[in-house]
Order: sequence, then structure tokens, then C-alpha cells
Amino acid sequence: MVNEYALFAAYVVVLSLYVNLGIALYGIFARPSLVKKLIAITILSDTANAFAILVGYRWPIGKLPKPPVITELPVTRKVLETYTSTAVDPLPQALVLTAVVIGLAVTLFIAFIIIQYYRLYGTVNIHKVRRR
Amino acid sequence: MIWPQVSIGIAPLLLTIAAFSLPLISLVIKRRLFYHIYALVFTIVALLFAFVNFYLVNYVYGHPLVYLFGGWPGPLGIVYEIDGVSSVLGFLVALDMLLVVIYSWWYMKNEDGVEWYYTLILLIETGMLGIVYTGDIFNLFVMIEVLAISAYGLVAFYRSKREAIEAAIKYSIVGATATTMYFLSVVFIYGTYGTVNMADLALKARPWLTSTLTTAYSFLSNMSGVGYGNVFIASAIALALALWAFTFKSAVFPNHFWLPDAHPEAPTPVSAALSGLVVKMGAYATLRFMYTIFGSNSTLDIGGGMSLRDAILLIILILGAVSAILGALVMIIQDDIKRLLAYSTIAHLGIIFMGLGVGLRGVSTALTSMAIAGVVLHTINHSFGKTLLFMASGLYIKATGTRSINFMKGLGKIMPVTTALVILGLLHLLGVPPLGGFFSKLLIYNALINSGLAIFALILILSTAISILGYMKLIVTLLVPPRPVEFLGKIREETLPVSVLSVLAGLIILVGILSMIGGIDVLEHIASGTTSANGIIDYINAMVQTSMKLIGGG
Repeated sequence: MVNEYALFAAYVVVLSLYVNLGIALYGIFARPSLVKKLIAITILSDTANAFAILVGYRWPIGKLPKPPVITELPVTRKVLETYTSTAVDPLPQALVLTAVVIGLAVTLFIAFIIIQYYRLYGTVNIHKVRRR
Repeated sequence: MIWPQVSIGIAPLLLTIAAFSLPLISLVIKRRLFYHIYALVFTIVALLFAFVNFYLVNYVYGHPLVYLFGGWPGPLGIVYEIDGVSSVLGFLVALDMLLVVIYSWWYMKNEDGVEWYYTLILLIETGMLGIVYTGDIFNLFVMIEVLAISAYGLVAFYRSKREAIEAAIKYSIVGATATTMYFLSVVFIYGTYGTVNMADLALKARPWLTSTLTTAYSFLSNMSGVGYGNVFIASAIALALALWAFTFKSAVFPNHFWLPDAHPEAPTPVSAALSGLVVKMGAYATLRFMYTIFGSNSTLDIGGGMSLRDAILLIILILGAVSAILGALVMIIQDDIKRLLAYSTIAHLGIIFMGLGVGLRGVSTALTSMAIAGVVLHTINHSFGKTLLFMASGLYIKATGTRSINFMKGLGKIMPVTTALVILGLLHLLGVPPLGGFFSKLLIYNALINSGLAIFALILILSTAISILGYMKLIVTLLVPPRPVEFLGKIREETLPVSVLSVLAGLIILVGILSMIGGIDVLEHIASGTTSANGIIDYINAMVQTSMKLIGGG
């Protein structure tokens, strides 16, 4: 019953991921401003993370899935059966958690480097520097 | 036996803890000598563990060894798995990093921020040991990022220098893109195969093995899920993304642009580590993906005509050939000694990638093993040679205060020992017979020509021939007068760096001698553990049996 809506939503998400990917790559390789490059990198990693979450969803889309958390105690066989048949895959979420933390470190590093670049060159536009 | 497993897992963890404790310790202890000794002690410990791993895998057990992190079995948890090739490379990494740290003792004696420098150096070693030891493609991503971030940091170490910051920007922005692409590739593989464990993937990518490895298959099907979607297309996309990231890390042709800026701008010991070791990690990851996971007869190697795997290997061959030629050509016109060495690194990485591309369909396992042995031997040779040359260039640069070769005219008269060792290193990289560099090029050449890839064998020769010009330019400049009068009496060769260089020269000669007395056969045997079907079966079985023993309380 929810099949068509869920499938449609999934297509919309996939399409927007492609668009995001395009925007991110355009920003990284074509924009001259380093700050915009940094923003594009964060867009790219967020796209990858969203894609990982999408992959961890229940496929093919059937009933609306639940978060991978067991809320009932004590944990009986029946609770576990409901859990495994409704919860989404927790592993991609763990992967995303790790990737987000690493992405934070990279973003901070690049932000610092850009500040340092601005201090040394007085601009964040790489084209202006090349023509000096 | 609990010991062998612990020695695998502990080396990267110990180095991580050591690296992150150093800034905290530096709040209390502010002695420069302490930082040097601290880094030295931990690199020596890491070398001991790496040696124990190397010895156990190759001489005691003879099959891959596994460490399961956190007591989680098999594909559920993070697995470190060492086979022959990774044990050799882990030993190489630890040995080379120890020499780099000893050299840093001299090089960093007047620099500020030594504690941060050593933090990053220890993290680089963590990353590399993690990359070569891991048996999990997501952990590979984490370790690549650990390595990459510390490498960016070290490139930007002289943070008030314009060129260094610009090189770090170029390196880090595209590097972050590349690693994100690798993450996407991991997601694709997870979605398709339902696992991120290399041994599990190796089995799932070879459906014909399931009838042979029934125990392993039933164990793994209970432990990891099944994927969905078109296996062929998803694997192809995943490989394309992953190889883009790996060629970036290895600075192979279309992605080589960052290396000539980034490597020279780092402090010289770091240039040695970056050029000698860090760029090889992309080649190692490519080896894992193209041979361990998607090896011959895997899901990508089916269908008539040219299979997808063959096409990818051909692309690797062509990219390797282009960078071998391009690196050698551009090297000739360099005036900056560190840039010259950086372009030489590109040429040698091209040769390594040509060796990686040999395993096409129809090429016998013996020939593939020969090529992979050549790749491993060339990695070792190039590491020692390039580390020696970069360290020596550091001596010249400190002596003259410039990186331009033109100002180093006749330095050989003033620094005779260093120059003799440099000439040895250059001849070694060139491939002059008694030295190690000859044997690795010969192995790759033989493998290429016997597997019907004569054109690439010719390119290998051509690249070497072109690079003679660049190396000779350096040798001639160093030897030919006029004698630089202004340096006379001011420069003397210091004991510590020169003895590090001598150790490296000794290692170069040792590799040559070992290759002559049967080391190549040993290396081919080690490489066959990665290329042959039996080696893959061992790789899968080692992981499965260790996990089953864990569940059974063993």
C-alpha cells in the first residue's frame, strides 16, 4: 500500500543525490574561491553519507521501516523477530558516523589552511594569486 | 596461541595512543630531547612488532594471520589480516619510518613545533601500518584518512611559507574529494555484497569457490547479509571510484599534479617518507582490490572477449605507462633538486602500476606472481633509494641554503661521502645490475614481456632511458668543478645524517645481494599467496577459522 509513495520518494532522493554530486564536483573543480571549494567538499561528503543511509534502508521498499533500536525489554525471540523484519540496517549508520567524524577533522584542517592562505596572500581566490 | 594475534593488532593502536598522548605530555615536558627519544622508542617498538608479524606469517605459520578487534568474530567486527605481501610491506614501513625518525633528530634540531611534528609522523606510521594490515575495506578508508590528514598537516608544516600552504591546499582539497569517492565506493560494495570484510568479499566475488569452501560459505552466510541490485554494474562503479582515489593517492598520471608541489614543500624527512612510503599505499590498495577481492575468475572476470577486469587492468597499465614516461620526461628539465626527485617518484609509481596490471585473463599464475613480486621488490627498492636521495638532498639544502641544482656545482668535493652515497642511490633507482633496483625492474620487465605486453616492457625501458638524463644531470653537477669556494670550510658532513644514509645504502646493497641468492624466489612465493587461487582460499579460511574458534570459545 505504501509501496508507490515510498518508491517515488526513493527516486526523488536518488535524483537529488545525483544533482548534489554534480553541484559538489562543479564547486570543487570549477569555482575559484577556496571557501566555496570547502563548502562543495562538505556537500560532497554529506551526499555520500546520505547515500550510505539510503543503501542501509530496507530494500525492496515494503513496509515503512523502523530505526535499529530495540525498545522492548526483556528481549524475547518474538521481539527480535519483529526487530529484524522491520529495522533498517544499522551498519551503514555506523559507517556514516565514522565518516562524519573524519570529515569534521578534514573540514577543520582545510578551514585552517584557508585562513592561513588568506593571511599570506590576502585573498581566497586562487585565480587572482596565479596571475600575480 | 594468543601472542601472534596481539602483535598484529597492537602496532597501529599503540602508535595512535603514542601520537595523541604526545601533545598532552608536551604540556608538562618541554625538553626537545624527550620528544626525539619518545618518537624513537615507539618507532622501534613498532618495528619489533612488524618484524614479529613478518617472521610469524612467513616462517612459522605459512598462512595469513588474523586479529579480531574487540572480540567480534569475522565479518561482524573489524578484522586485521596479514598475508605475505602485507607482512613484507609492514616491515618495510616500520623500518623506513625508524630511519626517518633518526634523521629527523638531526634535521629538526633548530625547528619549532617538534612535538606536533612527531605527533603527525607517528600518525603517518599508524595510517600506513593500518592500511597494510587491515582486512576490512571500511577500516582501509579510515586508515587512508588518518594517513592523508597527517600528510596534509606535514606538507603545511612550514605554515608561514606561501608555497607550502598552496601545496597543502591543492593536496588536501582534491585529496578530501578522492577519499570521499572511496567512501562512496565502499557504500556501493556494501550495498551489493552486504559486507565490508575483505575475506568475505573475496568469497562473495567468486561464486565458484562456494562449493570448495563449504564450511566458510555456510559460516559467512550466517554472519553477513546478502546485497541487492546488479552485482556487475555496482562492482564496476565501485571499482572506478576506488581506483580514482587510489591513483590519486599514488600520484598516477591524471592525478599526479599535486605531488611535485606537495612533496618538496614538506620538511625533508617527511618528503622522504611521503615519496618513499605514503604514495605506495595506493598501489597496495589497488593490489588488494584487483587481486584479493576482484581477482581472476571473479564476478568481474566473466563473459566472452575482454572482461571488465581486463579492461580495468589495461587502463591501469596505460596510466602506469603514461606516468612512467611523463615523470621521466618532466624530471629532466627540473632545476629544483626536490622537484626532480618528486618527478622521479611519479615515473617509478608508473612502473609499479605497470607491474600491477599484468594479471590479465590468460596470463598464468606464475607470471602474475612474478609481476607482483616485482611490484613488491620495486616498492622496497624505491623506498630505500628515494628515502636516501631525499635525505641527502636535505643535507645539500642545509649546506647551500637553496634547492636549486645550479648552486650545488662541485659539492661532491666538499661532501664526498654524501655524494658517493647519492650516486649509489641514483644508480640503484636507474637499475644498474649489482644493486637492488635492477632486479625489480627485471622482474616486471620479464612478466610484461612474457605475458604478451611487449609494448609496455618497451615503455619500461624507455622510461629508464629517459630518466638517465635527469639522474646524470644531478651526478654531473655534483661532481664537476668549479669548486664552490664560498662554502669551503663552512660545510662539514655531520655524523648522524650520514650514518643514516650509510644504513640505507647498506640496505640497497643488501637487497641486491639477497635478490641474487634466491630472495626473488622467496618473494614470488610470498606474492603467489595474493595471486593464486590457493592463496585466496588460505586468506578466506584464515579469517573464517579464527572467527569460528572465537565463537567456539577457542
